[in-house]
Amino acid sequence: MFKILKSLSKSLGSSAKATEAKPAAAKEGTLLDKVSKVSAAAAKAEPPKSPEEMCGITPKMSKDEVKAQLKLLFRRYNRSASSLDAKLRNEADRMLDAIVQMREKHFGEI
Amino acid sequence: MAEYVGIDLGTTLSGLAYLKPDGNPEIVPNADGERLTPSVVFFESHEDVKLVGSAARDGGEPDRTIFQIKRYMDDPEHLVEIDGKKWTPAEISALILSKLKRDCSKICGDINEVVITVPANFNELARKSTIAAAEMAGMKVRRLVNEPTAAAVYYAHSQGVKGRILVFDMGGGTLDTTILDVDGDSIKILTSEGARHLGGSNFDDILLEAYEEQYKKQTGAALYSGERHRRRVLQATEDAKKMLSKLQRVNDTVANDTNSGIARIDLSRDQFEKMIRNMLTRSVFLVEQALDSAKLKPSDIDHVVLVGGSTRIPKVKSMLEKIFGKTPKSCGNVDECVALGAALFAKKSSRIQEVCNASYGTLAMVYNAKTKEEKLMNSIVIPKNTPIPCSRTQVYQTSEDNERVIEVDITQGEDEDAKFVDVIGRLTLDVPPNRPKGCEVAVTFSYDENQRVRALVVDKQSGRSKEVAVTYKGAGVLSDEELKRRSHHLRAMRIE
Ligand SMILES: Nc1ncnc2c1ncn2[C@@H]1O[C@H](COP(=O)(O)OP(=O)(O)OP(=O)(O)O)[C@@H](O)[C@H]1O
Ligand SMILES: [Mg+2]
Repeated sequence: MFKILKSLSKSLGSSAKATEAKPAAAKEGTLLDKVSKVSAAAAKAEPPKSPEEMCGITPKMSKDEVKAQLKLLFRRYNRSASSLDAKLRNEADRMLDAIVQMREKHFGEI
Repeated sequence: MAEYVGIDLGTTLSGLAYLKPDGNPEIVPNADGERLTPSVVFFESHEDVKLVGSAARDGGEPDRTIFQIKRYMDDPEHLVEIDGKKWTPAEISALILSKLKRDCSKICGDINEVVITVPANFNELARKSTIAAAEMAGMKVRRLVNEPTAAAVYYAHSQGVKGRILVFDMGGGTLDTTILDVDGDSIKILTSEGARHLGGSNFDDILLEAYEEQYKKQTGAALYSGERHRRRVLQATEDAKKMLSKLQRVNDTVANDTNSGIARIDLSRDQFEKMIRNMLTRSVFLVEQALDSAKLKPSDIDHVVLVGGSTRIPKVKSMLEKIFGKTPKSCGNVDECVALGAALFAKKSSRIQEVCNASYGTLAMVYNAKTKEEKLMNSIVIPKNTPIPCSRTQVYQTSEDNERVIEVDITQGEDEDAKFVDVIGRLTLDVPPNRPKGCEVAVTFSYDENQRVRALVVDKQSGRSKEVAVTYKGAGVLSDEELKRRSHHLRAMRIE
C-alpha cells in the first residue's frame, strides 16, 4: 500500500476517481465549503428512514459488528455535532439519536 | 502578588483559585461574597456599567444579558450587538475575567499571570479566543490546561491516590472524559474525549419543553411570549432539576406572562431520568470511546472521578457505577475542583505529560494493492493521544508527471473519511519541472506543549522545503494591535 499526496483542489479538479463518489463536490466555493457541502449533499442523497438504515445496521450483522459500527458512527457524529455549520450539526444530532436508539435496541438501556 | 493562579472559565460558572504559601490551592470569593461567579454579563444602559455574575443573571433585561458565551468561542460570526457596538465572544469573556481579576486581587494580591482551563476538545480558535480574552482583561496566560486534567491534578493532590483515573466532567455546557495515570506528583494523560454540547443546560432545555407541554395541556396557552419570561421559567426548571438530585419528586407551579392562569407541575426523578436518557447514553458512548482510545477495559480503571455540577444527578453516578463496577468518587466540591487544580497546575505543569488533542494529517490517495482500489483518504501523521511535544513524519509520492507545485492540505480529525475531518490549512511548495510522478515528499508535523502545530514539507529529490505554523489566521482572530486597543478600552470600563 502506498500513499500519494493529494490536495483537495487537485482531487476535486482533475481526478475522476476521487470525485466519483462525491459528484456534488466539483462546484465553486472555498475548499472548506466543498468539504462541508460534500457531506451535506451525501446526507441528502438518499433520505434515510429507519434508525437501522441511518446507521447501516442489517439483520445479518453480529452483535460485535453492530457494536463496532455504532462506535464508529458515534465518534464521527459526535465530532460533527460541534461543527460551526448548523446544517451539519443538526444532521449529526439526528444521527446521534438514531445511534442511541440502535444501542438501546441491541444492547438495552443504560 | 498571587504567583500561581488558576481560573475555570465555565459555561455557567467561573471560579478563581490561588496557591497558598503552604502549597494548597484555595478558591477566592468575588466581591459579592460568592465562591463562584455566574458566567453572565449584563450591559446596563443607564449607568454604563457591565454587571457580571449573579446580579447579571437574576436582574437584567434579556436582550442586554449574555449567557453561555463559552459555547461560541470558536465562532467568528457570533457577534453580540449592544447599543450599536459589536462584541466578540472573547470580549464578553474578557468582562467575566476582568471581574474575577479585579475582585479576587483585593483578597489574594495582584494577579498578573494565570492558568486558564478549557474543555479538552476546544479547538485552536476557541483556545486562541480564550487567551485573547485573558489578555484583554490584563492577564498573561502562563498556560491553558484542559479542564479534566486540572481536576485530576487536584484530585491526586488532595486524595494522594496512585493509579489510572478516569475523570468524568459534566458541567453546564460540555462533557469531557479523560483517562490519566497518576503517580504522586507526576501525571500522564492517556486520552481525552469530549462532547461539545452535552451538559446541564441541555437538561434544563428538555425540562423546559416538558413544562411547556404541561402548561399547554392544563391552560391551553403558551408558557411564555418573550425571552424575559422564558429565562425565568428556565431558571425554575434548573431549580427543579437540582431538587431532583435530592428528592424523588418535586411539585412546582408555573404561570405565563399573559395571565392565562397557573399550571401545576408534578415531576418525578424517574420521569426526569427518562427525559435525559438519550443524553446520558451519549455520555456512555463517550466513556467507551475514551476507553477504546486508551486501549483499556473498564476494569483497568482504578478510580472514577466526578467533576462538574451535573454529576450531582444520581443517575449519572449509578450509570458510571454500572460500567465500572465501583463507586465513582467526587473530588470535594465538584464545581470548584477545576479552578483549584488549575492553580496547582500553574506550579506543577512540568510534571504533567499531556497528549495531542486531535489527529493531524493530510489528504492522500491511498492505493490498496489487494483490492486495486484507490481512495481519497485522510492520512494521519500525528495520531490523537500522542504524548507532546512530538514530531512525526510520513512520506508520500507525487501523483503526476511534471508536477510543478506540491499542495499539502492539513487536516484535523480522526476519521479516515475525508468528508469528516476539517481542512485547517494548506502548504504549497514549488518544485523543479520535468520530473516523473512518484517523487517522494516528506510531511512532518510537530506539536508543542501549548497545543500548537507546525507542518514541514520536504521534497526529497530537490531538497526544497517549506514550514508553516498551523494556525487559524482568518476571521475571529484579532491582530496584536487590535488586541492592545481593546484591552486598553476594557480597562477603562466599569465592571461589577
Ligand atoms: N444538584 C445538582 N443537580 C443537577 N445539576 C446540577 C446540580 N448542581 C449544579 N448542577 C448543574 O451543573 C451545571 C454547572 O456545572 P459546572 O459549574 O461544573 O459547569 P461549568 O463549569 O459552568 O460548565 P462547563 O464545564 O460545561 O463549561 C449547571 O447546568 C447546573 O444546573
Ligand atoms: Mg466546568
